[in-house]
Amino acid sequence: MYRIALKMLFGDRAKYIGLVFGVAFSTLLINQQCGIFVGLISRAASVIDDTPEANIWVMDPGVKNLDTIFPLRDTELARVRGVPGVEWAVPYFKAMATVRTQTGELESALLIGADDNSLIGIPARCVLGDPFDLKRPDSVAVAKDAFGKVWRGEEISLGKTLELNDRRAVVVAVVEDLPKFTSSITFYTRYSQALQYTNNGRNQLSFILVKAAAANDPEAVARQIQAQTGLQALTSDQFRKKAIQYVIDNTGIPVSFATVIGLGIIVGVAVVGLMFNLFVLENLKHFAALKAIGIKNRRLLAMVLLQAAVVGLVGYALGLGAAATFFETAGRSPNFRGFYLPWQVAAASALVATFIMLLAALVALRRVLFVDAAIVFRG
Amino acid sequence: MPQSTSQPVASTPADASELAARCEGITKEFGSGQTRVQVLRGVNFSVRLGEMMFLVGPSGCGKTTLISVLAGLLTPNSGSLEVLGKSLNKLRGGRLVDFRAANIGFIFQQFNLLPTLTAAENAAVPLLGQYVSFGRAVKQAGEMLDRLGLQAHKHKYPSQLSGGQQQRVAIARSLVHSPRLVICDEPTASLDAETGQTVMKLLRELAVTPQRAVIVVTHDDRIYKYADRISSMIYGRIIDVTLQGGVASASALAGSPN
Ligand SMILES: Nc1ncnc2c1ncn2[C@@H]1O[C@H](COP(=O)(O)OP(=O)(O)O)[C@@H](O)[C@H]1O
Ligand SMILES: [Mg+2]
Repeated sequence: MYRIALKMLFGDRAKYIGLVFGVAFSTLLINQQCGIFVGLISRAASVIDDTPEANIWVMDPGVKNLDTIFPLRDTELARVRGVPGVEWAVPYFKAMATVRTQTGELESALLIGADDNSLIGIPARCVLGDPFDLKRPDSVAVAKDAFGKVWRGEEISLGKTLELNDRRAVVVAVVEDLPKFTSSITFYTRYSQALQYTNNGRNQLSFILVKAAAANDPEAVARQIQAQTGLQALTSDQFRKKAIQYVIDNTGIPVSFATVIGLGIIVGVAVVGLMFNLFVLENLKHFAALKAIGIKNRRLLAMVLLQAAVVGLVGYALGLGAAATFFETAGRSPNFRGFYLPWQVAAASALVATFIMLLAALVALRRVLFVDAAIVFRG
Repeated sequence: MPQSTSQPVASTPADASELAARCEGITKEFGSGQTRVQVLRGVNFSVRLGEMMFLVGPSGCGKTTLISVLAGLLTPNSGSLEVLGKSLNKLRGGRLVDFRAANIGFIFQQFNLLPTLTAAENAAVPLLGQYVSFGRAVKQAGEMLDRLGLQAHKHKYPSQLSGGQQQRVAIARSLVHSPRLVICDEPTASLDAETGQTVMKLLRELAVTPQRAVIVVTHDDRIYKYADRISSMIYGRIIDVTLQGGVASASALAGSPN
């Protein structure tokens, strides 16, 4: 009977394709939108992820994200270094700067100043040049994606000069970093150099990056720092969550994505539900004939569930494949860089596909179970 | 095989063991209150193994309702009903479905073939219902189609077949699992006269065996000659049963309508 169920399904080509397309469409939409959403909001914390060496971030108690910063006094660095369990602590500078591109246009850029000695804060992956050349005066490293935005259409190269806040800068290294939420151009330099570009003297410490000693629990060390200095100290994980939560709470991004995803599910349920019902309805007299001939309800139920399962599975596979293709191809563009398809999203959309098919099958099943076999003799 | 059925069936009153179905005082009504209609008004009816019984009467007199009751598709409001030695009133749910699957074959006016299955697959459905493997069921159904002269059409879909061919597939489906009671509702009503004759001739030859009874509902008097007995029904009652001696006359008359 299962063979018959499948032949019934595949034999009705138009409806089968429509059903599969409905599920695939929902799956694609959910995965694509969720993937972009996750990718987009994790950019709010990409600065943290660019600096895996540190596991605690120390900042002004009022800081809620990585963009609104109140500088600390220079003396705080020494106080943090004095907290037990701190292996090392280095200064970290982060501010917006204005750059003039080679065509004369102005762009805002993120300027990050890393500890002069250790260069902690400079992304580890260097694609051209040597980060240690940052020790030279007026030198900066530029993010690979940013290079093309400042020097349009040019291959990445070293020795390029530009105006950063009206001051000359020379590119000595090209690094690969994670895309940022607020700006698409990032320059990296030494802490002391960054202060010169921003023309601010002392007490410009945006963050203090701390590494907890190996034997210590970073959370405990963070609490200790907080207690001892009165500053806010968060582990990288805590800060990442806080920064992302800020975006979720304070922007329309989650709502707009949720709307699209919700529409995807509704369209999926409506299209698939209606079409599956139509499919079953058109086959109702055949189901009634099968009933009359002596096929039990239990087996008719299994047939319908099998049909639903096949539609769900094929549709899901196609939708997921399409989403994966999207992230593989479109994902290569810098604007989508770092976007991926989290397995949790794929799993959740499998549940949604199951839900859609179950709902469709349930409504259709009612018809099949309650159809009166006696109708076989009626026109 | 066809020859085996060309012996006239004894028309002497049969004892109970030879009865395929017997019902007494069957009533059936539909709806309730204002819309209540009584369709069967105390039907006494019996059919013997080895005979082809026609059930005739004007449209709306309750023929279809009666065979639905006999097949266990409708529950009568009152009366006793025995089919193949089983009291159908006492069978419920799954047991009743199993009983139908094992013992009853159906032929419908509208053929009711699944459009996405081939002829052989359609004819195999009752076997699949009894958990025969797909390959074996289709093979067995194919053999039945051979006997109905459909050798060349086994793998065609219903839409590729003529009405007569489709009804022959339906005959194969009704017989493939060797049921002991075959119930046909207006089997020739959707066919032209000539095709109707061919189909009835095949049905007569293949379906009627000593261990099986065939009930044919019709109001097409051009096929009466294929009947062994004819029960006439009017307004919810059987009013008359006449002997037709169908086998002998059917062989003689086959192919020459009227
Ligand atoms: N499910 C039903 N509900 C109400 N009336 C019905 C139903 N089935 C049949 N009838 C009525 O019962 C009568 C007999 O119908 P039927 O048995 O189909 O007659 P026949 O097959 O002799 O033409 C008709 O008047 C029909 O309208
Ligand atoms: Mg009728």
